[in-house]
Amino acid sequence: MRIKPFSIITTSFLVVLGTITIFPFIYMGVTSMKSAQEIVVAGLHVFPRHPVIDNYIKVFSRTLILRYLLNGSIVAGGVLIGQLIVNIPAAFAFAKRTFPLKKVLFLIIVAALVFPKYIAAIPNFLLLSKWRLIDKYPAMILPFIASPFCIFLMRQYIMTIPEDFFEAASLEGCGTGRLLVQILVPMIRPAIGSFSIFSIVAHWNDFFWPLIVVNSKHMFTPPAGIVFFADAEGGTDWGSLMAAAVLTVLPLVVIFLSNRKQFISSLTNTGLKG
Amino acid sequence: MPRYRGSSLKIKAKRHIISYLLILPALVFLVLFVFYPIFYSLMLSMQRYRLGFKTRQFIGLANYKTLFATTDFWNSMQITGVYTVIVMVVSIVLGLFLAVLISYRKKTEMFWQVIFFLPVAATMAAMSIVWRFILDQNFGFFNALLQAFGMRGTDWLQNPDTAFSVVTMINIWTNAGYTMVFFIAGLANISGELYESAALDGSNKLQDFLYISFPLLSPTTLFIVIIMTVRALASFDTIKVLTNGGPLQTTEILSLLLYREAFQFFNIGFASSIAVVFFVLTLVLAIVQLKFDKRVHYQ
Repeated sequence: MRIKPFSIITTSFLVVLGTITIFPFIYMGVTSMKSAQEIVVAGLHVFPRHPVIDNYIKVFSRTLILRYLLNGSIVAGGVLIGQLIVNIPAAFAFAKRTFPLKKVLFLIIVAALVFPKYIAAIPNFLLLSKWRLIDKYPAMILPFIASPFCIFLMRQYIMTIPEDFFEAASLEGCGTGRLLVQILVPMIRPAIGSFSIFSIVAHWNDFFWPLIVVNSKHMFTPPAGIVFFADAEGGTDWGSLMAAAVLTVLPLVVIFLSNRKQFISSLTNTGLKG
Repeated sequence: MPRYRGSSLKIKAKRHIISYLLILPALVFLVLFVFYPIFYSLMLSMQRYRLGFKTRQFIGLANYKTLFATTDFWNSMQITGVYTVIVMVVSIVLGLFLAVLISYRKKTEMFWQVIFFLPVAATMAAMSIVWRFILDQNFGFFNALLQAFGMRGTDWLQNPDTAFSVVTMINIWTNAGYTMVFFIAGLANISGELYESAALDGSNKLQDFLYISFPLLSPTTLFIVIIMTVRALASFDTIKVLTNGGPLQTTEILSLLLYREAFQFFNIGFASSIAVVFFVLTLVLAIVQLKFDKRVHYQ
């Protein structure tokens, strides 16, 4: 703080830009607590004069929001568990074992990091239709189980663990399966935590894929559900729409606010798969 | 490692089999849902194939010929290009600006980071509905604000003159915080001694930025340029919800054109040719990125 005026100018910049940045969040929250009459005449009155919870009651009783939240949890949870089960063993093999073609296979897998999701959309849709999985949870989960990013991240982490741990275990007659579950998993917990945040954010927020493989409204995840509600039923019932938006955004915002540092680093330690 | 016990050939073979079994599940999913689809997209793009129609035949490059001859495609390419460049450049400039302002503060740094990063964590489909409300012609806050200053608003997202700019700005809002955290990490890596010795020579903060921070951040900047380009190029959620490509196709970026052809018209063959063009565009960027990635390590 050498020069006072400088600090005043920069602070006011931050306050103005910060206000613009969080305004939609604030406006969403306050509008969800306004009655329909108050919203119509709101104008510049941001905060509700008579806060009401009617919008939330309406959203819970007249829409499938609970079902959407459940679907979102099943999909995000299913994808994450599948990813961890499938990719951690592969990451371990690439980090700690030697076998023919190891380098080539790893390069092929890492190459998949850069493919855009749109190239696979049409074939995957056709395949899932052929398997009669459209409108079912597996259609929203299966295409994302293989995660080159998960393999890459876990491999980096496992490589930092000294060989001794695994050698000692295997000398004591510990099988590969037990070694993975009982020794490896507890040691790579930070990497699992970091990847979990990344994966949950990506799949809770994903709007593109549910839009393609879901037809019936009771199978929507929250992003697809709220857009359906806005376009088909909610129309201009802004109070209920804002309440539904709050319920969609809230879970991740709570996770974010309670793990700020880890959250930010887990979303930014990869470039291409933001 | 097999080194210390792999005495006989049999044990060695068994070890290799275990290694392959460990990667097999991941490889199966990867082939099924990532690699095979690329190959299959290429095949589809050379077929006349519409869902619901019986005929399905190989037509060579006819889909690409049609694609390159339609104004829809070139319109979309132009919109995608302009959109991508603006979102990329402005998000980076704004993110750098924020990072510099925030990095000066030790006590409140995390507070500001949280605020500007919030849009990155939020569900964009839901936040786009919020923006639709804020920008609503009759009940929206933005038009009320303009009115208070004696200006007249418009139907921002339905007006062909304004929709593109509004959509672009909303995407900058979602991305500035993202680039910001990379710059904050980059600035944290610059030694404080440099600023101290510059201060001894009477350098002010602007000079600090121009002659120390900015040059030392250039590897970070290059890296962010690539990621942001890929990110902007892949935008879908916000635009689908805000305008659905309209009004008058003024916001129809490539991903929306692809979605419309594939999943609304079920024009599978033709849509696949768009997907392949998209793939090639991204691949070129990815190769550029890999080249830089070898030289740049920001974390």
